[in-house]
Amino acid sequence: MTLQTMTQDVIAAAEKPALSIINYSLSYKTANGLISALKNIDLTIPKGKTVGLVGESGSGKSSMAWSVMRYLPPNAVETGGAIRLAGEELLDHTPWQMADIRGKRMSMVFQDPSTSLNPTIRLGEQIAEVLMRHRGLTKAQAWAEAEVALARTGITRPKEMLQRFPHEASGGEKQRVVIATAFACEPELIIFDEPTTALDILTARQILDLFNQLRDETNVSALYISHDLGLVSRVVDEVSVLHKGVIVERGLVGEVFAKPSAPYTKQLIGAVPNPDRFIGVDAPAEPKTLIKLDGIGVHYGAPSKIQKMFWPEDAEKVGFWGAKDVNFEVRKGELLGVVGESGSGKSTIAKVLAGLQDFQGNLEIEGKTVTGRKAIDRAYRRRVQIVFQHPDASLNPRQKIGTIIARPLKLYGVVPREKIKARIAELLEMVRLPAEYADRYPHQLSGGEKQRVAIARAFAAEPELVICDEVTAALDVSVQAAVAELLVKLQKDTGAACVFITHDLNLIRQLAHRIAVMHHGKLVDFFDRPDARSEDRDPYTKALLDAVPVHTPVEAFEIA
Amino acid sequence: MRNFFSSPTAIMGTALLSIVLFAAIFGPMIAPYDPQAFDPLNRLQGPSMAHLFGTDQFGRDLLSRVLTGAPSTVAFGVGATLLGVGIGSIIGVVAGVSGGWIDSTIMRVLDGLLAVPDLLFTLLIVTILGGGMEHAMLAVSIAFAPGMARIARSAVLSVRTRDYVRAAVARGESGVYIVTCEVLPNALSPIVVEATIRVSFAIMIGATLGFLGLGAQPPSTEWGLMVAEARQFMFRNPWCVAIPGLSIAIAALGFNLFGDALRDALDPKRSHG
Repeated sequence: MTLQTMTQDVIAAAEKPALSIINYSLSYKTANGLISALKNIDLTIPKGKTVGLVGESGSGKSSMAWSVMRYLPPNAVETGGAIRLAGEELLDHTPWQMADIRGKRMSMVFQDPSTSLNPTIRLGEQIAEVLMRHRGLTKAQAWAEAEVALARTGITRPKEMLQRFPHEASGGEKQRVVIATAFACEPELIIFDEPTTALDILTARQILDLFNQLRDETNVSALYISHDLGLVSRVVDEVSVLHKGVIVERGLVGEVFAKPSAPYTKQLIGAVPNPDRFIGVDAPAEPKTLIKLDGIGVHYGAPSKIQKMFWPEDAEKVGFWGAKDVNFEVRKGELLGVVGESGSGKSTIAKVLAGLQDFQGNLEIEGKTVTGRKAIDRAYRRRVQIVFQHPDASLNPRQKIGTIIARPLKLYGVVPREKIKARIAELLEMVRLPAEYADRYPHQLSGGEKQRVAIARAFAAEPELVICDEVTAALDVSVQAAVAELLVKLQKDTGAACVFITHDLNLIRQLAHRIAVMHHGKLVDFFDRPDARSEDRDPYTKALLDAVPVHTPVEAFEIA
Repeated sequence: MRNFFSSPTAIMGTALLSIVLFAAIFGPMIAPYDPQAFDPLNRLQGPSMAHLFGTDQFGRDLLSRVLTGAPSTVAFGVGATLLGVGIGSIIGVVAGVSGGWIDSTIMRVLDGLLAVPDLLFTLLIVTILGGGMEHAMLAVSIAFAPGMARIARSAVLSVRTRDYVRAAVARGESGVYIVTCEVLPNALSPIVVEATIRVSFAIMIGATLGFLGLGAQPPSTEWGLMVAEARQFMFRNPWCVAIPGLSIAIAALGFNLFGDALRDALDPKRSHG
């Protein structure tokens, strides 16, 4: 089926599609002239269908959402085309007319529920406000209606929830409230802008199920924007792939996954980690312990000496344990994966290992015992290096790349002074960056390149252990695959061990020899990679594994 | 740099600042008359070809007096600010970097000082130290220190938790390296911007002290003092009050607008966006 006949079929099926975008283009005025964000976009959402829009950061997918909502920044220039909601041209509407349409006929669910709800207003009022504004209900009616709306989203005690403030609800509950608000006026179209990205795996799974359930109940049309192909395949009927402002491929979701035609889509699908394809280094032949964590505990907001003196019985209750009684060992040359949701304590462990966090218990590095953060010496710090999640934040913006990489070389005296320059070039080459990058500043590099610099800096110290704290989380899928591959190559070359902290189970199953699972600050499971699916896994591990999108488009790999 | 001049604030601020700085550097050289020369026959004249800005109660040429007064006025503002920023930044950086009880103690003391208005605080110090330019300058800088310390501390705190600082800590860098190479360069821009804006306050406080007779002493050509001396003759010749008054306003406005523009230009969200 060609693209055109398919589009025609779809149009024939529903005479007036819920949303049709025809040949739409958008640019932004910047200091460097006009920058094109969207080029000749054609997109149709038939009534009652969900269309996915997939693209990496900077592809223009969020611009698309804001164009449809008619809420563009002042420097946006629309260079042509049409956006029609049930046949009505939105581009001609005044801001006043749009205010009536937004929330009533079109609504939007944002990425992060903690920022899309007003923290000073009760949740009930936030839902009721929409109902009062668009359906003309009285306050009492609106609150009653809000309760019904919340109950529909599977919140167990909706009446209580209405009285709460956003900070008194969990992330998943907040997103349910946002979704309830979006559905409240039974709109014709709902735009979902990465609604699960800020949530934990398990919660995200529930929200997706909720979305599917509500869609079946209300028959709403939806535009679902995401960077995650696996996730999109679960909720949408049709998908469009957006690359640099151009739709490079569209079609039914099954077909796009099974037989991607555009090179970009192939690359994108190929980059999605496949848990069954191991790409890590060979496991060390004989397991030798490098570092041992013995009863590690981190108590955030621990009581002061005075509090302990007067209220000894409260000492345990004050503050909370970021990690408690964590025991495991890292072997020489291996890659140990640490997985868990946000707040599970995995980053706390990274900070303890890197000597950034006070802790209780002992660290044992090849027989030498370290009892606390202050006892960590420079020799230890050289042997253990850390790479942070956000490459934008981990490089000093006022230092050149060369200076940044040279610092560990000078600090630890890795190479003699006169050879530092040559070594920088070597290190840059190791992370596959051109040597002339040494003279650039971090802001001149892309996110993936910056992360390579951070990795080069860590390996410059010639460490025995590199801690990677969610190093791929802030990167796009295709960049993420390249960075993971690079890490494996560096491990192969240097023989360093690696503690790889992530929330991405598919990725870690590609890389790690052994996997530790953390939950609420405790180590709940620890297993070798092949045993991931065995029966004696902890129920929490099983739940996590079941929650990740299971899509293994095997054919796609063969094509790609 | 092109971005900097895209805003009207920046153009205006730079223009006014250039006039003031030009007067401060070349003023005494280009002054047409001796600023202290009496001319009893031409007292309280309005602007004329001979005296462009008119003359004061002793027949002294106002243009010459304003021009020769520029260096001391600007030097007062810049000097007091530099001193105040220096003292304040050191206190703030120490507080921000050390944290814990040292931070708490320093900041509580400074909070107490901040409760006293700048001018009142300055007057108090000048009364204790005695009048004169140097004492007034010292007083203004002491009055500025608590505010600057707060700004320096918050700048340091916002940088201190960044990943590149944590990376340096994890590497085992010395405290001195972390503060001078990682923290300070990134905390500097808010301090510089605030300092530029504060120069205008310093000039105004200096002028106020001069007006109250606590700063510069006659026959100095400091602008605030000029306003004070000419006050009695305001209705006979408004020019002798207006000219030094306008000069103060231009200098203050110039520094203020320039500082505002600098803040916008140094804001990474705007320059990279």
